Amino acid sequence: MRWIRQYGIPLLRRLGSSVLTLWLITIVVFAMTNVLPGDVARRILGPFADERAVAALNHQLGTDRPLPEQYIHWLSRLAHGDLGTSLAMRRPVAQLLLPALANSAKLAGSALLVILPLSIFLGLVAAFSEGKALDFLIRLSGLVTTVLPEFVTSIAVILLFAIAIPLFPVTAVAPPHSSLPTQIYYLILPITPVTLVLVGYLCRVMRSSAVEILHTNYIRAAELKGLSRWRLLFWHLLPNALPPVIAVTANQLGYLLGGLVAIEAVFNYPGLGQLLLTAGRQKDFPVLQSGVLLVGLTYVLANTFADLLYWLLNPRLRERG
Amino acid sequence: MSRDAELRQKLHPIANHLIDEYQAGRLTRREFVRRLSVLGINLSFANFLASACGGGQNAASPTAAVPQTGSPAPQPTLNATPAGAGTPGSVPVVRAAVFMPAGKIDPITIADEGGLCLLSQTGEYLCWADEQLNLRPELATSWQPNDNASVWTFTLRQGVTFHNGKPLRAQDVVATFKRLTDPNSGSNALSAFQGVITPDGIKAKDEYTVVFELQRPFSNFPYLVSSDNYNTIILPEEYDGNYESTFIGTGALKLKEYQPRSKAVFVRNPTYWGKPAIPDMVELRFYEDESARILAFQGREVDVVTHVTASNGQPLFKDSTTQMIEFSSTTHLQVHMRTDTKPFDDRRVRQAIALLLDRPAIINGILLGKADIGNDHPFAPVYPSTDKTVAQRQQDLAKARSLLQAAGYGDGFSIKLVSWRGLAIPDLAAVIQQAAQQVRIRIDIELTDAGTYYGKAVFGESPWLDSTLGITDYGHRGAPDVVLRAALRSDGVWNAAHFKNTTYDRLVDDYAAATDLQRQRQIAKNIEELLLEETPLLITFFERYLIAARRGLSGIEPGAVGHLRLAHARFS
Repeated sequence: MRWIRQYGIPLLRRLGSSVLTLWLITIVVFAMTNVLPGDVARRILGPFADERAVAALNHQLGTDRPLPEQYIHWLSRLAHGDLGTSLAMRRPVAQLLLPALANSAKLAGSALLVILPLSIFLGLVAAFSEGKALDFLIRLSGLVTTVLPEFVTSIAVILLFAIAIPLFPVTAVAPPHSSLPTQIYYLILPITPVTLVLVGYLCRVMRSSAVEILHTNYIRAAELKGLSRWRLLFWHLLPNALPPVIAVTANQLGYLLGGLVAIEAVFNYPGLGQLLLTAGRQKDFPVLQSGVLLVGLTYVLANTFADLLYWLLNPRLRERG
Repeated sequence: MSRDAELRQKLHPIANHLIDEYQAGRLTRREFVRRLSVLGINLSFANFLASACGGGQNAASPTAAVPQTGSPAPQPTLNATPAGAGTPGSVPVVRAAVFMPAGKIDPITIADEGGLCLLSQTGEYLCWADEQLNLRPELATSWQPNDNASVWTFTLRQGVTFHNGKPLRAQDVVATFKRLTDPNSGSNALSAFQGVITPDGIKAKDEYTVVFELQRPFSNFPYLVSSDNYNTIILPEEYDGNYESTFIGTGALKLKEYQPRSKAVFVRNPTYWGKPAIPDMVELRFYEDESARILAFQGREVDVVTHVTASNGQPLFKDSTTQMIEFSSTTHLQVHMRTDTKPFDDRRVRQAIALLLDRPAIINGILLGKADIGNDHPFAPVYPSTDKTVAQRQQDLAKARSLLQAAGYGDGFSIKLVSWRGLAIPDLAAVIQQAAQQVRIRIDIELTDAGTYYGKAVFGESPWLDSTLGITDYGHRGAPDVVLRAALRSDGVWNAAHFKNTTYDRLVDDYAAATDLQRQRQIAKNIEELLLEETPLLITFFERYLIAARRGLSGIEPGAVGHLRLAHARFS
């Protein structure tokens, strides 16, 4: 019972507010898509199509019906577990979204596996050498890689490691039924620009958080008590310095899943970013809305997970309940 | 009877007229052949006529004289190596990087380069408009107009079957065009057929003859049933809209696999009526982004890249392993100036803006020289009917200043230029803005996305059609008629300049009805001069169409509208 009170109720409350948030997101996305000028059939047929053809296609697609009706239609199908039908591709949204989401998750997951350990390590190294040349070097290079646009770094890594020195493939998609090592091999290049952007950022968060903790009295006391470096690091420093990094990482998940548009474009990687961008351009609101909903859902889940980690890492929160 | 007279007796009066023109030296050999192709005369016969009538040295075999039913159409090829070098040997797979299709693959609604490029892999047209704007027989073996070009009769090829084994009949062709001209089908080709033909005008005379009874005379009509009007691939009569599952057609390739947003794979059609496909497999991979297409080519993941722009394709120009296939197109940007709104209601102001521009510098700066110069009218140099004697407009700042002075704008004015962010539009907008500064005209550039700019694409609900100054992109068209009518006629649905001129309207009607080239060219001259004088539009260049291919790859059949046929591609 205590456990339920401690974790269950806050979790439920959180989920409730998340569902509400997601629902509001769908309304905002729907409204924004429809505020844009032009209509769906016009976007499909182009500016030079005959008005009668546009009207006929809008009728076929159902996009000539009142907006609230279209929204309610989409929502009621969603309630039945149906993400709707793409207006441009005229096939089930799930057929388009789920593979794209899986691809994006693969890319984001692999990237995180590199980014997290690397930024924690670099952040700690910088923190321990605070004020020294190494600290300065790590911070400066982090800053440089963060401000470089992904589009530029993507093209640069391709030109270098796929064309000048042909070590890796240009296109990031491994042939179907490839083994895990092959799939990883194909993902190495596209992960690089994401890593460059995020490591610089996360490593600075890690550094400043670690520096702050290193200056606290309890660390000094632990040092004076003669605790080993490793014990100090894993027992006292990391649990207290990690929460901000976790929070920031969770916040980056939306970007990692749906925002890698430039990287997906350059590597021709069939992820969510490109799909949603195209859907936005075409006013294909079932795809856009369901996609945003999926990204939002992942985001909410990730943040809930991050909060759980917070609780686990922070005894004070655990005690308070 | 002499051979010449004998030949002439068999020919259509328009063809005879063309022979007169050719013999009188008013037509070059290439123009002569091209015009004959519009009349449905196949290329080998046209070449034979050119030699026989013009006294050329390489007379083709007279056996090619009559268009042969059932015989394969001569295949246009762009050879990197001389024809016949290299054996046709087995080519396992040819891979191309193409545009991501924008939506469902349905020949009725397709309106994008990615989608149309897929259509012509498996689908065929009555005639094929090649990169020189010649019309080559494909599913039609010949076509004939009546005397005033208001009724066109097409004879179909016999022995053609669809990929499902069903033979091609006139009923299939009739159904295809009725579907495309039906206002309730959502047809993207409807605007091209608007005012030309209705479903009632399309009739099967017999199993292999289709008659098109037009609403008005139209001498360039065959272009509307050719690959130039890319929606018109011939589909079976019972086509139900589910194209994606089969890509049904009559072509040399048939569908193996289509993965939306990823790729399409084609294999040889063993029952093809013509020359069998050379590669075992053709794979089209879809890319949203041009740099990604080019990088994939540089990384040797594809053998061909369709429609490369000059700016992005630059790294390939000097690469020794790459051949650039380059030919003239009629793709252009139109800068419209609203003739019914201040300050452009005064023609002198419009002329002044046109005189500010240094066209050769624009072509070299924006398109790295990969364009033909424009003279502020839609008659691109590649059209045979274009009159090239009309003087090219040159930059003339002094004249521009005096025109503005006379119009009362000596101190300049401020104006907003709207368009969308894409193609060469931002660059052209910036060039115009800078040029205008010289005469104290301040241009405020406002670029949105394409959808916003075109809006609902009707007057009153479209920045494109309502703005005082704007830039609009026009794709390639094999004949100038659609642009002449829609963009400039008083009742034109794309008339962003709000240009209303009864003389012009009459000239455009005359042009469409003119059945001989000399007459077309005379009218074209009048239209060109009128548009130069009135200057409702600035057309500074017509882009060349560029395709990058691996050196040694030949047999690519392109079309400036966006086709890239690879069925007869081979490596030497």
